[in-house]
Amino acid sequence: MSAALLVFGYTLAVAWSVPVLLSRLTRQGISARLGLAAWLTAMASVLASAGAAVALLAGAAIAGWPRLAEAVCRSVAGRACTPVVYRSAAFEVPLGAAAAIATLTAAVLAWRYGRAMRKAGRRTRAHAEAARITGRRLPAGGDGDGGTGRQAGSGATVVLDVPQPAAYCVPGRPAAIVLTSGALAVLDRAQLGAVLAHERAHLAGRHHLLISLSRGLTTSFPGVPVFTRGPAEVARLAELCADDAAARRSGRPALIAALLAMGTGAAVPAPALAVTSGAVTARVRRLLDPPRRGRHARYGLALITVILLLAAMSGLVIAFAGPLAAALA
Amino acid sequence: MRGFGDLESVIMHMVWDHGCAVTVRELFDELRDERSIAYTTVMSTMDNLHRKGWLAREKDGKAYRYTATASREEYSARLMREALDGGGDTEAVLSHFVAQMGGAESEVLRTVVGRLTRGDAPLGRPPAREARK
Repeated sequence: MSAALLVFGYTLAVAWSVPVLLSRLTRQGISARLGLAAWLTAMASVLASAGAAVALLAGAAIAGWPRLAEAVCRSVAGRACTPVVYRSAAFEVPLGAAAAIATLTAAVLAWRYGRAMRKAGRRTRAHAEAARITGRRLPAGGDGDGGTGRQAGSGATVVLDVPQPAAYCVPGRPAAIVLTSGALAVLDRAQLGAVLAHERAHLAGRHHLLISLSRGLTTSFPGVPVFTRGPAEVARLAELCADDAAARRSGRPALIAALLAMGTGAAVPAPALAVTSGAVTARVRRLLDPPRRGRHARYGLALITVILLLAAMSGLVIAFAGPLAAALA
Repeated sequence: MRGFGDLESVIMHMVWDHGCAVTVRELFDELRDERSIAYTTVMSTMDNLHRKGWLAREKDGKAYRYTATASREEYSARLMREALDGGGDTEAVLSHFVAQMGGAESEVLRTVVGRLTRGDAPLGRPPAREARK
């Protein structure tokens, strides 16, 4: 019982304190890839140690059922609680039912999570198919790659005849990168290369998976900082990772120009998404003012330390949860 | 080289370009000029597109005449709508190159563009340093 509480306490401490630390370390997007890894590690480690705590609790409950029943009974009924009462069906049945309801709730949450994921997957596949059929293939070499508009693993690049500039990727097998004719109109060859490199980085890094998996956690665990802040940070850092990949591939000036062209060209009123306001400006500023090497190394080192610590602690918790429980029992 | 999915796209574009109802035979004759392809492949592809709701067909004698259920523009517009405000589900999985921006941010970016094109802020130098000048 006390081992479970210990693990549970550790879980809560990580879930509440690590987001504060990571927000600071990743705010400026220095070492975006390590920052992304650190947020994912934090979420996974909280999940793992919470799972270990629940397993310990369940194990203790099953092993010490008579004592647990007695304890619960005494806390409710005090001295009136006699073995006749707490061994009776009238007491044990509701307690068992409560445990069953808790298990069932967890199962329903997991099932709904899975169903939402599958539904999103179906919609995405349908969208990708429709885009592939409706769009025209990007003319060969048009992406500054000398390629055929088709690259291993990234599927087809298609152009939709829409005046408004837009570019996005649709994950799936095969994935698709969708550009509008409006985007082609405002981008030159190098800028188009940067846009495509950015989208390919999303697909290659499976960012959609990271983002949708972590968003699902927000709905399952409302109010837990690591899960309420994590997903937005994962989405933001994934964007910065893709920017870094595009800057490496096409150069910072081309990427900045592409961001400005696409950003200001897309004069579409979208009040619903105004919450993302500032994100593009932040990306441009970050590209204009890249961190010096020393800072890069310091932030990288700090992030690696956090990742290793979190991983080591969850490993320890899972490996030694059983023996710890035995020792404390 | 091109897969089956590509053939669906090629056929839809041909149907759209035709503008009127076409038979499998007509499309097959056109396609045969540019690639080696079997009549049955064209037929089953068009049958697939009909099943998926892209093509409508009407019996005309022994053959079917196919028409697109919606124009290319309508499909493009529908896709754009879904991509831009498709609700939580698709928003999560489609990674846009730039997020939709409010008027204020658009304004800020325009200022940055203006500064860049005037040449007093070379790329790669922090905006802060420019302000001090």
